[in-house]
Amino acid sequence: MASRYTLRPLMRSARCQLQPSHSQRCFSSSIRRYEPTSESTNHERTTHFGFETVSESEKEARVAGVFSSVAASYDVMNDCMSLGIHRLWKDHFVRSINPGSSSSSQPWKMLDIAGGTGDIAFRLLQHCDEINHSPQSTITISDINPAMLDEGRKRSLATPYARSPRLDFLVANAEHLDTIPSDSVDLYTVAFGIRNFTNKEAALREAFRVLKPGGLFACLEFSGVTNPVLDAVYQRWSFGAIPLIGQIVAGDRDSYQYLVESIERFPKQEEFRDMIQDAGFLVPGKGWEDLTMGIAAIHKGVKPVELQATQ
Amino acid sequence: MASKARVLRLRPLIPRSCSRPYHSYDHPPPPGPFNAVEESILAAAIPHVPSHGFTYTSLSLGAKTAGYIDASTNLFPRGSFSLVHYHLYTKRACLAQHKDILEPLDAGNKPLGTGVKVKALTWERLMGNREIIHRWQEALALMAQPSNIPTSLSELAALSDEIWFLAGDNAVNASWYSKRASLSSIYAATELFMTTDKSTEFADTKEFLDRRFKDVQAVGSIVGSMGQWAGFTAHAGLNVLRSKGVRI
Repeated sequence: MASRYTLRPLMRSARCQLQPSHSQRCFSSSIRRYEPTSESTNHERTTHFGFETVSESEKEARVAGVFSSVAASYDVMNDCMSLGIHRLWKDHFVRSINPGSSSSSQPWKMLDIAGGTGDIAFRLLQHCDEINHSPQSTITISDINPAMLDEGRKRSLATPYARSPRLDFLVANAEHLDTIPSDSVDLYTVAFGIRNFTNKEAALREAFRVLKPGGLFACLEFSGVTNPVLDAVYQRWSFGAIPLIGQIVAGDRDSYQYLVESIERFPKQEEFRDMIQDAGFLVPGKGWEDLTMGIAAIHKGVKPVELQATQ
Repeated sequence: MASKARVLRLRPLIPRSCSRPYHSYDHPPPPGPFNAVEESILAAAIPHVPSHGFTYTSLSLGAKTAGYIDASTNLFPRGSFSLVHYHLYTKRACLAQHKDILEPLDAGNKPLGTGVKVKALTWERLMGNREIIHRWQEALALMAQPSNIPTSLSELAALSDEIWFLAGDNAVNASWYSKRASLSSIYAATELFMTTDKSTEFADTKEFLDRRFKDVQAVGSIVGSMGQWAGFTAHAGLNVLRSKGVRI
């Protein structure tokens, strides 16, 4: 633990010195195109990109670069990095939401944000069909990155939902879901995505807008490990092993360096719970559920029903 | 008084969510385990329990009655156990409203004794299960699940504490524990008996409850007599030894 804190400033300063060559080496043309703007406008709003501080417009482009380059090897890499546990997390996430509840004839309208490869979406539809017998429930998979959505389209061909009207795809920025009307969605999910958003508060406000009153916001995301011993091991694993695995398996070290840095940067359980509450949601119980000692966490929020309806 | 003042001074240290370990006449009761929205959904779900049981179905029907949708049942991470918990909590809170037992109306009668009040309140609590008794075995199964056992036990403890408090018991010796433990076991046993009782107006349950109270009284008096006998024998033995010149 102690060594982690003492080393971090060193790591950061080393990174700053390396930065010019670093950014040119790792991100191809799209990044270089954005570089002049970040230099010329000093007053532009900035945000985090891993441990670096970049302008907001640059972050969007850089995240796009990361996910375009990992789309194809996404599953193999997830399995390698989490030792397959990410599948258990995703299954548990969907089970705990229990979509398409059987007591009603009304189908659910679901929206899976940052769900490019369809991992969560196919599970949600399967749960609707096989557990709750709700074959009318529909889902929209939305992602900012067309490369990830293409991957999802390709994978949907292997599921029973290929080309069915229950599944559709939407390229959109989660901060401006202009094509989705307000109060129209039963369930809004975002799994391992919100970490990469440039403006998380804006995305939460947008989620609040599109959800029906009583609708559920559910988020699966990396979080803070609660046990200090495990945390030390986990930090060693994520900063030591994951970029290396990325280099060997996907041939892309920098994308996975970004991944672990963005995990470290993301707000911890309590802080993110407060962000959800600030957006207007009611949180159930303490507001989150830790998975595998807090490596990941499920956060939920319910949009309250306004009381004048009952008056 | 001094100890009460100390407790009051310590109050800010106690987290708001944890319930107070004592009953206060000067402060409003601590907030219950559910917030307003949860309460509105659960209250609307309870009427569905007799037909649908302590299930997810009742919960989502309740959500719909309260103006929410299916997805809102995610407010209850413990699912249908929340319904059981709500039932236990509300029925316990109802006991304080039985003025006929606590303060009999006609002033000519002398007030009921503590023991009579305890029996009457226990019976009233059992009658709180009357509407859903055919579903109560489902609830017991949920309460017995390992993750739910702590809540179930603390609700049982809170119930027997509530009954003794309302009955006006203010003992501050070791009997505080034995009273609550014996009442908890009587209540739990009678509740289980009630789930299989088919007699009219639960007459068999009433008899069963009376027998359990008699048992506890009998055991209590036997334990008391044994203690008296042991004390006398020890005392006599000591005196015999002293009369023989042993310096003790």
